[in-house]
Amino acid sequence: MNVIEIKSLTKIYNGGEVKVKAVNGIDINFKQGEFTAVVGPSGSGKTTFLNMLGGLDRPTSGEVIIGGVNVWGLSSRQLIDFRMNNIGFVFQSYNLIPVLTAGENVEFIMQLQGKPKKERDLRTKELLEAVGIGDRIKSRPSKLSGGQQQRVAVARALASKPEFILADEPTANLDSSSTTSLLELMSQMNKKFNTTFIFATHDQRVMDKARRIVTIEDGKILSDEYFDRE
Amino acid sequence: MSKFISIAWRNLWRNKRRTLITAASVFFGVFFSVMMTSMQKGSFENMISNMAKFYSGYIQIQESNFKETPSVNNSFVLSKKLTKAINSNEDITSSTKRIETFALASNEEKSYPSFLLGIEPDKENLKSGLSKYIDEGSFIENGSNDILVGSILAKNLNVGVGDSLILLGQGYHGVSAVGIYKINGLLDFPLPDLSKQVIYMDLANCQEFSSLPSSITSNVIMVNNTGKITEVMSYLQTYIGDKEVIYSWQDLMPEILNLVEGKESSGAMVKFLLFMIIGFGVWSTIMMMMNERQRELGVMIAIGFQKGKLLFMMLVESAFIGIIGVISGIIVSYPIFYYLFKNPIVLTGEMAETYESMGFEAKLAFSVSPEIFYNPAITIMIIFMIVSLYQIYYVARLNVVKSLKS
Ligand SMILES: Nc1ncnc2c1ncn2[C@@H]1O[C@H](COP(=O)(O)OP(=O)(O)O)[C@@H](O)[C@H]1O
Ligand SMILES: [Mg+2]
Repeated sequence: MNVIEIKSLTKIYNGGEVKVKAVNGIDINFKQGEFTAVVGPSGSGKTTFLNMLGGLDRPTSGEVIIGGVNVWGLSSRQLIDFRMNNIGFVFQSYNLIPVLTAGENVEFIMQLQGKPKKERDLRTKELLEAVGIGDRIKSRPSKLSGGQQQRVAVARALASKPEFILADEPTANLDSSSTTSLLELMSQMNKKFNTTFIFATHDQRVMDKARRIVTIEDGKILSDEYFDRE
Repeated sequence: MSKFISIAWRNLWRNKRRTLITAASVFFGVFFSVMMTSMQKGSFENMISNMAKFYSGYIQIQESNFKETPSVNNSFVLSKKLTKAINSNEDITSSTKRIETFALASNEEKSYPSFLLGIEPDKENLKSGLSKYIDEGSFIENGSNDILVGSILAKNLNVGVGDSLILLGQGYHGVSAVGIYKINGLLDFPLPDLSKQVIYMDLANCQEFSSLPSSITSNVIMVNNTGKITEVMSYLQTYIGDKEVIYSWQDLMPEILNLVEGKESSGAMVKFLLFMIIGFGVWSTIMMMMNERQRELGVMIAIGFQKGKLLFMMLVESAFIGIIGVISGIIVSYPIFYYLFKNPIVLTGEMAETYESMGFEAKLAFSVSPEIFYNPAITIMIIFMIVSLYQIYYVARLNVVKSLKS
């Protein structure tokens, strides 16, 4: 079943005199449980693509259909709620609300969703343990390492039980051991909860973990390959 | 909801120094504004109550032409009906009859114009505690033939207690009024203008001097609370004859009212500048607060915060600054100015002279009228409301993608 259907997605930036076609007519579908890397050189359009896919950046033309909903047909208020309930985000860095503890960061998104306290507490604990920092539940982000912060961000992204998780270069600011373990974690979560992951990267180690690699250049899909990993 | 407030509260202390400085600027704004107003209002209230006590009263009944032409010809007889009405009103604390006229006061060497008041000594004393201001000699009894003279006037005339003064004036229907009177006491008022020109004599004595029958030029009324003035005035309105008019102190001393209003508007100007400066300080703090969190706000919207909630959080945060500043400002200033209200500072030396030369009592009086405290609080609230417009604009315009890139 397709979780995401994308039809001739295009984004044109009016950068003064020159028009930049950051994303130039992309058609692609994503299925439940996929673990996909979107790769390509810097400036190829990965971020723009992910942002349109995630309901953050309005396309110039084309459609994004998630679970049957035409995302860009929603009002901006509806869109925010849609993101909350259907998409988990992991950004490059500074993902967390600095004044909330690791636990609160994970819990808060469920609170926004109106989940009962008991369920929130349970799930927060469960998720933080799953990402390996159950013992830092009361720590503020500034007391955590970059790798730990990204783990909390993954836990938060999972907390709302989204259709899929978007991660734009989640390892760009991490050292190689943190990168490896975060990748390991995402792959684990992907398997454990069958959550769809789509991440942009130009890091070879990250690509090596992906079961599907979509290569973009100049806003167009260059290749789309599937791999079998053990 | 409480989570948003809790986030706002924690955000507030992310930059403790800046928050405290901004709250302190609000605190000082409130404090200085209260100080200025309390002192200014206090000195006016003191002056007005002095003037009312010694001169105008809060309410006066006069013959209808007297204000225009202050002559004993424009006098009236206080009717029984009116006297009864006055006596039966509970808000009226005192009512005393007067003749106000002018006389030239002279001894062998010098002459000075004087403001001659025929009074009921016992009642007048009850009303204003006039006898307390006797500097030399003693107060006059009812029916006395002697006079009381303002200390500065006496000094100018070079006379003292026991000396005599010749008073020369105009009596009823142009009859010339003349008499020689012994000085029984000198009065040193807290209002230098009065000390400079006033002469008091017993009412009957003054009626004789002015060849007046049993009439008076004014009846002076005090009330227990200045807030009752209009009410009492309209009560009396139904009892007065058609030749009599009721005035409030404002009607009788328009120059004081002008002075008060003039000073108040220049005070308001200073306060306006003060609050402008504070307003810009608050604005720049809040602007910094929002700008440095641009990315964070972008993340929050991305993961599912509605802009309304975000705005609510930011507004609560800035409101905390205002509330901390205003409440601490009032908590600190109220006891201080309440104390000073109860214990005015009596001035001495040069300061005292300066004050007296301007016609004020040499005393720093303070006021604790409620508006002194809530006006700055309201002003601060308005400042924060104006600044919140910027916050609304900022959040409305906030673009997730741009914020994430910042
Ligand atoms: N806001 C913008 N205005 C103009 N051009 C932009 C903007 N954002 C991105 N671009 C351009 O779009 C292209 C794709 O950018 P981006 O999606 O960030 O690529 P990537 O994430 O692969 O590095 C680049 O050429 C970039 O300069
Ligand atoms: Mg990018």
